[in-house]
Amino acid sequence: MPIYTKSYRRYDGQPRRHFRWLVIVEQELKTLAKFRVFKGLILVACLHIILRLLQIVAYDVLAQDPNHPLQIVFANLDIAYIGPATFFSFLYLQTTITFIILLYAGAGMICNDFKNNLMEIYFSKPLTWLDYSLGKTMTLVALGLSITALPGVLLVVLHNLLLPGMDTLTASWWWPLSIIAYSLLIVVPAALCILACSSLLPSQNYAAIAVIMALVANSSLGGLLAGMLRQRNYFAVSFPLALRRIGETVFQDNRVLFTLSWYWCFLYVIVVCLVALAIVLRKVRHAEIAS
Amino acid sequence: MTSIIEFNDVTVKYNGDPALDGVTIALGAGAIGLLGPNGAGKSTFIKTVLGFTRAVKGTVNIFGMPMPDRAIEVRHSLGYMPEIEVSSPKVSAVAFLTYCGRIFGMRRVDALERAHEVLNYVNLGDSRYRTMETYSTGMLQRVKLAQAILHDPKLLLLDEPTNGLDPDGRIEILDLVSDIAKRPNVTVIVSSHLLPDVQHVCKQVVMIDKGKVVHSGAICDLTIPRLEFYEMRVRDSDIAFVKEVRAAGYECARLHPSNMLLVRAPHENNVQALFQIARTCNAQVRHFQPARRSLEDAFLQAMGKE
Repeated sequence: MPIYTKSYRRYDGQPRRHFRWLVIVEQELKTLAKFRVFKGLILVACLHIILRLLQIVAYDVLAQDPNHPLQIVFANLDIAYIGPATFFSFLYLQTTITFIILLYAGAGMICNDFKNNLMEIYFSKPLTWLDYSLGKTMTLVALGLSITALPGVLLVVLHNLLLPGMDTLTASWWWPLSIIAYSLLIVVPAALCILACSSLLPSQNYAAIAVIMALVANSSLGGLLAGMLRQRNYFAVSFPLALRRIGETVFQDNRVLFTLSWYWCFLYVIVVCLVALAIVLRKVRHAEIAS
Repeated sequence: MTSIIEFNDVTVKYNGDPALDGVTIALGAGAIGLLGPNGAGKSTFIKTVLGFTRAVKGTVNIFGMPMPDRAIEVRHSLGYMPEIEVSSPKVSAVAFLTYCGRIFGMRRVDALERAHEVLNYVNLGDSRYRTMETYSTGMLQRVKLAQAILHDPKLLLLDEPTNGLDPDGRIEILDLVSDIAKRPNVTVIVSSHLLPDVQHVCKQVVMIDKGKVVHSGAICDLTIPRLEFYEMRVRDSDIAFVKEVRAAGYECARLHPSNMLLVRAPHENNVQALFQIARTCNAQVRHFQPARRSLEDAFLQAMGKE
């Protein structure tokens, strides 16, 4: 026989009314952190960051020390040179692993909630469809920026610390802004497209396949058009190359792949983002307000 | 009595077909059952209260606040247990409920504390630490109930709470719901097509059919005694008693599984004659009372199927 009455207490607390999307971000990241595959992917992304770190240390410490036996090697090695192109190259190479991580994290983010009928539970609480959409998007954006913009900016800071002086500062003050801008260009469209597919399709596998298919199809089309019509500007149809074209402008890299103005590429990215955002918002809103 | 839910001429349509058709009703505090056959509009009624479905005509007020304009404020005081199976496969029940609490706006510590408290209340025991993909249907029902009561809502909406449960599990969930309904200032609305479930928990019922409210009122008013019907239980010589009663012009049927006799007296006969027959047959009358109309009868009458 129980010696106490089983019950639950009254709740008199004052609920927090703002930033509910932050709870979603926190929960999603916490859930992702439990998966070994996710940890492995983050580790791969970190390996590249460590390589760049070694590059900066080699250039800033070894190449600047005339007494060091390796100075002559690093001072004359083009790939060891630290400049805006270094960070452009870092982000460009980091794009693939970022995309894979975002795909792994985001493909099931909305469709699994639909599949497990969690939407009704969430929206029966004081959570709006905007909070929900923002929470899911910000999870992917935060995840993406944590392996692109964050290490990029920290590497610039490290470069300035290892090679202090006005020359370094004058040359590199704008690099963090370029890194943040280009990282956002890599992460935001990828996050929105993945979430759009996740909200449209019934399973995370379908969503992941759809995103990859769209990317492959669009890159192939760009290559085909450019090859058949012998006009390199058609490469801009390929979304990754359109992003690269903007990156070249942002990092003032003169080795341009095609001459089409970056405005058009930026407009292309904006249109893709808006379409993906509209799909996400429409689907999530429909989950809260069925009629 | 102030109304907690007020529907004024509310029409809700799905693809042009009315799911609720001109519903006007005001519901006060207490345990209220929503009865109706499948597709009658019970779930739509609940979803309209939640603000998930919007009325194309009429007004909805919950706690005096218009819906869906003030849906977020209203949802602070609402708890909802959906009909469909809900699961968050990769997380434990505690983690899921803590998340629900945090979505509600609780601090992390409060959410975790209350998650344990309500999971204990719904008898989930140590299973609360297992991931939800390993849960049985009954356990998932308990989790659904737990998340609905986590923030101690003033209005609890339970859509088919005993769906897919075995008889024991059904009784346990209904007992929990009855217990919740006894809490002060808590209104519980139970939607079901199972009449015994509603009768177990509720004092009032609203009957819905084809999107219209066909009847609403207290269950005790619906199940009024019917003067020509009597419930009897007799000991010894009951077979002979039944034979004699039938010979005297009464209609008599044996009710299962209670083994009670339901006797319908012709208008000209009085009740005393039954006792005389019992004495003649040497049968002991152990139970005798006018039979009440069952909720099922009332329901069928309201649906026009008497």
